[in-house]
Amino acid sequence: MTSYGGYARTGYGTQGGEDGGGFMSASQQGSQGGERKSNKDDALRPVTIKQLVDCKESYKDAELSIDGVPVTHVTLVGQVRSVTPATINNTYRLDDGTGIVEIKQWIDAENPDKSPRFAPDTYLRVFGHLRTFNGKLSVNASRMRPIEDFNEVNYHLLEATYVHLSLTKGAAAGGGQQQGGDGDGMFVDSGYGAGDARAVQARLAPCSRNAQAIFKFLLNAAGDGQHISQVSSFTGLSNKDIMSAAEELLNEGLVYTTEDDETWAILEM
Amino acid sequence: MEATANPRITCAYLNSYVGKNVIVVGKVLQLRGEEALIDADGNITAHLNREAHLAAGNGVQIIGKVNPDLSIKCLSSMDLGTGVDYNLANTVVEISHQHRSLFAYD
Repeated sequence: MTSYGGYARTGYGTQGGEDGGGFMSASQQGSQGGERKSNKDDALRPVTIKQLVDCKESYKDAELSIDGVPVTHVTLVGQVRSVTPATINNTYRLDDGTGIVEIKQWIDAENPDKSPRFAPDTYLRVFGHLRTFNGKLSVNASRMRPIEDFNEVNYHLLEATYVHLSLTKGAAAGGGQQQGGDGDGMFVDSGYGAGDARAVQARLAPCSRNAQAIFKFLLNAAGDGQHISQVSSFTGLSNKDIMSAAEELLNEGLVYTTEDDETWAILEM
Repeated sequence: MEATANPRITCAYLNSYVGKNVIVVGKVLQLRGEEALIDADGNITAHLNREAHLAAGNGVQIIGKVNPDLSIKCLSSMDLGTGVDYNLANTVVEISHQHRSLFAYD
């Protein structure tokens, strides 16, 4: 992002349009920042009830956050401890072994059958949003359903832990979330470091078999580049085939020519 | 909202939770009257209450208090049927002890 902003400014600057450049980069960054924020706000967060118990507003009407990330929509599982029926809503006390939280289930006046009342001890999956009233936090359920496969309870606890760890310690390797944060960052600055073997594979995939064979040979060959004669003796391909395959690899930015147009080496290995 | 946790444990953790309420997920090995032998990464004896409806071979979730002899006095029990992934349940116990901030009040 920074490099793009700098580039845009220079471009406009030469024509005396410094303001235009500044505006460009500012709007670009602004919109991206906005997207990121709303994404996190709207994200459905799997949580343990302990996380909700710990979740305190820092001041009145402050937005709630867990692990420093604003949270409104949550999903949780737990066993019903008690039900308090009322005309317009049912209040459940839900316990998942890490704490107890109140769940409000609103009853659709026209279709009361759509909001079945769940018996104590039933395991429920709840989707809803957080609300605070007089400093007390509860969950307004938009959907509740009984859990049929008990393993879902355990999966949920693992998922909540996974999301917590992703947010506090960064996404797991191979999760792709870190790379997603900066578009093409994976090629520009991280070289062929850990995890980028996949990027190379991805660029190699559309190449022909010949090109892939040559790439493999260059990868394992010693020295600063291999002449076409060495490539030919190893792969058994004709010079014409090698030249066209090398063209593919050059276009993909996987290899570069060294001493002359018929000697290649792997780029950035 | 209440800050009361019933930690999930397996057999190996019984020692650390004497006198406390815990959750155990395991497989019912034997039923002997009001006593059940449960495998939760090791065998645990549970003293059942009247309401218990368990079946040998099925999974069970027991919430109860750990006695000094490391048996469990059952407060509530729930039959989980046959489809329970015990490795998963044991993994959750380990994870919940590794990442206590999500599961326990210290």
